[in-house]
Amino acid sequence: MSGFEENIIEVRNLVMEYNGNHVLDNITFNVKKGEIFVILGRSGCGKSTLLRAMVGLLTPTSGEIYIFGKNILALGHKDQVEFRKKIGMCFQNSALFNSMTVGENVALPIREHTKLADSTIEIMARIKLELVGLGGCYDMYPSQLSGGMKKRAGIARAMALDPEIIFYDEPSSGLDPVVSAGLDQLIRKMQNTFGLTSVVVTHDLDSVKIIADRICVLHNAKILAIGTLEELEKSEDPYIRQFFTRTPDPEETYSSSLILEDKGSM
Amino acid sequence: MFTRILGIIGKKTILCIGTTLAICVLVFETFNWLFVQPLLGRGLRWKDAIENFLEFGYRSLPIVGLISLLVGIIMGMQSAYTLQQWGATIFIANLVGISALRELAPLMSAILITGRSGSAITAEIGTMKISEEIDALIVMGLSPFKYLVVPKFIGMLFAVPCVTVISMAIMIAGGFIVGVGILGLDFWAYFDQTAKALTSKDLFSGMVKSVFFGLTICWVGIYKGFQVEGSAESVGRMTTSSVVTSIFTIIIVDLIWTSLFYFS
Repeated sequence: MSGFEENIIEVRNLVMEYNGNHVLDNITFNVKKGEIFVILGRSGCGKSTLLRAMVGLLTPTSGEIYIFGKNILALGHKDQVEFRKKIGMCFQNSALFNSMTVGENVALPIREHTKLADSTIEIMARIKLELVGLGGCYDMYPSQLSGGMKKRAGIARAMALDPEIIFYDEPSSGLDPVVSAGLDQLIRKMQNTFGLTSVVVTHDLDSVKIIADRICVLHNAKILAIGTLEELEKSEDPYIRQFFTRTPDPEETYSSSLILEDKGSM
Repeated sequence: MFTRILGIIGKKTILCIGTTLAICVLVFETFNWLFVQPLLGRGLRWKDAIENFLEFGYRSLPIVGLISLLVGIIMGMQSAYTLQQWGATIFIANLVGISALRELAPLMSAILITGRSGSAITAEIGTMKISEEIDALIVMGLSPFKYLVVPKFIGMLFAVPCVTVISMAIMIAGGFIVGVGILGLDFWAYFDQTAKALTSKDLFSGMVKSVFFGLTICWVGIYKGFQVEGSAESVGRMTTSSVVTSIFTIIIVDLIWTSLFYFS
């Protein structure tokens, strides 16, 4: 894809082990500034782990992650806070603080990281909520929102400090196709309006087709392919073909093949 | 067989060391965010701390008060049972007063607050952990210690001694009801006897205990909360475990302080 030149995220030889199993095995890829980069894979292929490592929630066994040109695994406390102010993350279950209203949720990062007056912070939070289409929900509690609205509120909170990169963990999980499509549109809008770089972890092919600039297919802790949607659709790789044609695993070999694959990755 | 036993011992030892390390980190970080970081300008959540103090302390008063009164009455009657044989019922005042101050009020308050708030701390932190709220805090560059741990810590540290003092007074009043109301002792004689019996050392030993009980409830609750992993079922399991561990630890701490005061 043209237009995206500068690498904003560089992941180098990332290895993640858990109880002796490789959850991620020698992962290397770049994310270019301004693109929507989708990490695609089946449940349990390590894609959420990869995302959590990229935001610094998990420490990999080995490898390096450069974001904004700095190795995020070697940051001091101050730099780490600065780094985190420049990224936003939307969690799978939105992870809004249930004890606060939606507005306070969005205002929290602004309140804690800036010295603005309360009235200014409230206006900023209202703008962010307006942006995701939740203008009227400032005083509601997360428990009063539907799943899709919660995700939108999560995006508003992630956007609170105008980050440069935003990470989405399974944005369409648990949502109906219509709400999910609306969310895809919102992700696109964020990119178009603010030039945001987005990293999206998903297994939802329909949304991939709408939002993805580039796709990285993860399978059994390894990267199978990286490319645009057109490139991947032409791929001859049996696994990618299976994924894109939505073919189930052969029933009989299902359990045994999984066990074999697991042993292979150990 | 022998190697297997060695293996089990080794595994337990490693687990034990891991737990000890985790608790050390918890204690260190709590003090770090309580004293060091606020001085560096990272702030303290006073409002949350006061809210927690009211929740752990003020709102537990009805139940602690009621139980203290009942325990005071029970203690009064139980001691009357023996003391009546010697015609020394006035010494109920000594027995109830001293046991309330030195032992029963701190212990009852701590156990009730464990059941009421220790479990709530574990459940809250555990739920926040499985719903990724703690991760959300971290990704926003905010410390869970500043937001969750320290406010609860301050609240608990002040709540338990305050509740304990009130519990002491009510427990003595319970004995009073038995002595004056049932056994017909003179009001002022009972009052004087209580005042004579109690020394500041009794009060001091009770207060010292209550402070350490507060620390125990708080740290066990928080530690167990962060131990929650995976599912809602784990929250339930850890909450139970938090209450049991907390009460057990409270008794151990009680024993240590009681023997320290006894031998000193």
